[in-house]
Amino acid sequence: MANHDWLGLKQELPRRRRLLLTAASFLAPLLVWCVLSYVPWVWHPLMHITDAGSVDYFSTGLDVPRATFFQEVAKAQAAGLDVPQGDRVNPPYLPAPHEVVRAFYTAFKTPPRLQDEPWLHQSLGHSIRTIFLGFFFSSLIGLPLGILSGTYRFFAKLQEPFIEFFRYLPAPAFGALCVAILGIEDAPKIAIIVIGTFFQQVLVIANSVRKVDPALIEAAQTLGASKWKLVSRVVIPASITDVYTDMRILLGWAWTYLIVAEVVGTMSGITLFINQQARYRNFDNVYAAIAMIGIIGLTTDIFLAWLGTVLFPWKKKNRKPRTHTLFPLFDPIPLNPPKRKEVQLEAHVAQ
Amino acid sequence: MSPSEIKLPDYRSLAPAVAARFERIRERPVILSVRDLKKSFGANGSTHVVFDHLSLEIHRREFICAVGPSGCGKSTLARIVAGLDEASGGEILLNGESVAGPGPDRGMVFQGYTLFPWLTVKRNVMFGLQMSGKAPSTADTEARQWLDMVGLSKFEESYPHELSGGMKQRVAIARALANNPRILIMDEPFGALDAQTRAQMQNYLLQIWKKVDVTILFITHDLDEAAFLSDRIIVMGVNPGGIREVIENPVPRPRSPAQFISPEFLALKKRLEHHIHPPVEGEPAEKLPMIKLTDAGDEVE
Ligand SMILES: Nc1ncnc2c1ncn2[C@@H]1O[C@H](COP(=O)(O)OP(=O)(O)O)[C@@H](O)[C@H]1O
Ligand SMILES: [Mg+2]
Repeated sequence: MANHDWLGLKQELPRRRRLLLTAASFLAPLLVWCVLSYVPWVWHPLMHITDAGSVDYFSTGLDVPRATFFQEVAKAQAAGLDVPQGDRVNPPYLPAPHEVVRAFYTAFKTPPRLQDEPWLHQSLGHSIRTIFLGFFFSSLIGLPLGILSGTYRFFAKLQEPFIEFFRYLPAPAFGALCVAILGIEDAPKIAIIVIGTFFQQVLVIANSVRKVDPALIEAAQTLGASKWKLVSRVVIPASITDVYTDMRILLGWAWTYLIVAEVVGTMSGITLFINQQARYRNFDNVYAAIAMIGIIGLTTDIFLAWLGTVLFPWKKKNRKPRTHTLFPLFDPIPLNPPKRKEVQLEAHVAQ
Repeated sequence: MSPSEIKLPDYRSLAPAVAARFERIRERPVILSVRDLKKSFGANGSTHVVFDHLSLEIHRREFICAVGPSGCGKSTLARIVAGLDEASGGEILLNGESVAGPGPDRGMVFQGYTLFPWLTVKRNVMFGLQMSGKAPSTADTEARQWLDMVGLSKFEESYPHELSGGMKQRVAIARALANNPRILIMDEPFGALDAQTRAQMQNYLLQIWKKVDVTILFITHDLDEAAFLSDRIIVMGVNPGGIREVIENPVPRPRSPAQFISPEFLALKKRLEHHIHPPVEGEPAEKLPMIKLTDAGDEVE
């Protein structure tokens, strides 16, 4: 451990270092943001006027470019008039970290300006529902088709050429069509997510299924498995971990289609919230909402990764006992398996 | 005096006990009969014939080893018998009936590890039993018995990746035998194991074979292994491919590692080596071109 190389090519980094680096990957951009926001002589291109002095078009609370401000200061000094006063500030579209953090709290607490506008949590709920339904309908057909296509050359040849063609068509291009066919509510939005996900899904899953080791299939054949049993008992379990990983990645892609989908028809969900807050120039809320998407996406993925280690216990490489409870969220290692052997042994000894 | 100069008995002269044993084997029914088997690869024009007119009869509970240089078609033969490859001609009879395609009556153990990684050791062994429609409780009981036989009861709830190579192959053997196959085909099953584990596995295999009514077709390129395990040895060759000789193993049973230096064993091995590495008449072995990359004055020979 002592002479472990930080930049070793092959060796796994020790756990402490992995966690440290994970933290650093978040802290580094945050640090840049803090420097930009809190160190007054870094950037801060505007002057926030606290005292307009003798300049007639200045007023308290106005933000003006620094160059303009100092021109006026110079003019006022030359004329011997009252010199305007001000502080260096960043433009409103770059709120400081603490403002965004505060917005995380206040955005959920602040009622919408108009009666019929949604709260932030309602917007988020709407978006999650759209994603979930889109991904669900896509998977409902995409998963079986992908498995079929990966298992049988017949189905691969029958459907993959067309899907290869179709996946190049950008999903947003179907926006107008979806609205014309499905109306302006949620249906066209879900359809956009389905179109964006489905075709990739079939191809990616077919590919994972195709990678199943043929030796496993042959072994099963010599054990008497054939036809459907071969698919259900060998091909599917052999590829399920890869397919599961594919689904996690595809779900991430579905999120990227969300914003496009939500501007189709009547704008809705988190996109609507972001747009309105931007119009009201509540940029701290805008950043908070965007960050919420990232947080929801990442926590879903971490949860699914953890769920994977529970669902597929044979993937556990090193069954080490878990020592911390919080950090593993960011670095999931498998839970310790039930120690059946030892329990039996102890029971035996007890007798 | 080098070993080749020691006076060895004729590998064909069998001790009375050994001869009597072969007599008994010949009286047993034929389990597997291979008739005029032909296998060629490639379409018309550039066909590569691996072997042709390959015929062979294996009796019940016989232990047959097939040896031969790499690429002579050992695996091809095993795969055709198992039904995983199609023959280009000829037929395979099992218990007198022609078979095509894989089936549970012909078990197979591969060189690579083919345990199902998503199933525990016990469930791997239960796989074939469930495929043949046995009730889960029956399959469970039988699987435990087989694991007991290969000495892995303690690992029944482990996953394959938690086992060593030798243990994986023991499970693979148990999994194949659980189906009660008429013949067990093993294609270099211990090829990936280290020498010590391999010797252990050979012992295990002989012990298992003694307890179970199964006929074994064992493919190997290790001549010691063939001589140690087999009743008869099929020597295969290349150009032309096919069976060169079928040798009745003169080494008496029960076998033990001590026999590795017995005269029969050495005579048999000398004969096998003669087939696999035939002495080239006249000219000595081709020398590699000599380019010297060191001049530290440390001649290694
Ligand atoms: N799928 C294949 N296509 C073409 N040639 C093959 C194929 N499989 C095996 N062969 C050829 O058949 C011969 C026998 O191969 P194999 O049975 O694997 O030999 P062995 O197991 O004795 O080393 C080799 O010359 C090999 O090149
Ligand atoms: Mg081979």
